[in-house]
Amino acid sequence: MTQVIELTQVSKVYNGGAAQTALDGISMSVASGEFVAVMGPSGSGKSTLLNMVAGLDRPTSGRVCVGGRDLTGLSEGELAKFRRTHVGIVFQFFHLLNDLTVLDNVLVAAELAGIKRSAARQQATALLARLEIADKADVYPAELSGGQRQRVAIARALVNRPPLLLADEPTGALDSRSGDQIMELIAAINASGQTVVLVTHDAKLAARHAQRVISMSDGRIVDDAVLEPAAGTRSLLTFQREEARR
Amino acid sequence: MSLRYGILGLLAEQPLHGYEVKTRYEALFGGTWDLNIGQVYTTLQRLERDGLVGEVGERGDRGKQRYDLTPAGRDALHDWLQTPEEEPPQLRQDIYLKLLLISRLANGNLDTLLARQRRVYLQRLKDLGELEHQARRQGRDDLVLLVQGAILHTEADLKWIDVCADESRRAAHSIGGTHQ
Repeated sequence: MTQVIELTQVSKVYNGGAAQTALDGISMSVASGEFVAVMGPSGSGKSTLLNMVAGLDRPTSGRVCVGGRDLTGLSEGELAKFRRTHVGIVFQFFHLLNDLTVLDNVLVAAELAGIKRSAARQQATALLARLEIADKADVYPAELSGGQRQRVAIARALVNRPPLLLADEPTGALDSRSGDQIMELIAAINASGQTVVLVTHDAKLAARHAQRVISMSDGRIVDDAVLEPAAGTRSLLTFQREEARR
Repeated sequence: MSLRYGILGLLAEQPLHGYEVKTRYEALFGGTWDLNIGQVYTTLQRLERDGLVGEVGERGDRGKQRYDLTPAGRDALHDWLQTPEEEPPQLRQDIYLKLLLISRLANGNLDTLLARQRRVYLQRLKDLGELEHQARRQGRDDLVLLVQGAILHTEADLKWIDVCADESRRAAHSIGGTHQ
């Protein structure tokens, strides 16, 4: 299977005052089509890891390959171009442009990537429809609920058809119902073939939607678990029978 | 879990025979609990012996006998429902015993056990998440609450595994530092 992400011995040390190791020799890979959750408490290095993969930060040592491209030697300009075409990023606080309508927020990302306006408009409109906010295309972000804003952010992240969708605590600023709906959407996007990496401190979210959960602590991967598909009722019956045998 | 009071609760709604108790009990838990019919009959007999339930009506099809609550059974159920549960015996699960023994027998290296246990809890969270989803779809708000309780417990178990892992690493680090 094609590897979308390949990290080899990646370390990141910040040198503000006392040196602080944010990532400590991380090696991992993510295959095309996977839904991987990266979990860990604050300061465990999960967001730094995501920033490396997104090309938003550079490692102190080690190699980062995304979509077959080695990011290590890229210039700032090349990295910016890489970000526009290879990754879509969804953040906790949406980061929408308040002076632009919903449609224009999505179109800006496409135009920066050099996509023709007519093609971009077609793709953006299709995405807004898929995310059930087509009727909000001409309104401004301030008029939307948190859940609707995050849908716009997802549309913006996907408009350039990136091989990789990165989501950094995408439900962190939402109430639980809106958060569940956003996660169902991301899961549906993954089911259609999109590779997804979700960073979260929420174990329930990670386990519910991801096929694989990477646990981090102190800048290191402490576990990389592939989960079985959810068994619901059946699994609890099995559990009950095991209890009864004791 | 108390089958005794579960049966009293079901009989408080209406008289039932043994097999109806089994199916209603299982439906109450959304199919997550498989009840042995022999256990149901034994419990009904004990409840009858203790004067908490009594036979009602004639024996029906294949000798099936319905049972109803007696006034004493109704009082016992009421008292039980109003009594808060004591804390569960948290420190008596096998995982605690394993941790205590490995701490002594394997130079304190808990990493393998903790990683495996973390996977068990993550898988349980995934399964419970699906169960919560199913219960919501069926409009079973009572079952949703039950599953949410199980999810919160499992999240706490996972956090505890993280605490153990951090402590284990810190201990290994300080031993490494002492030897240098």
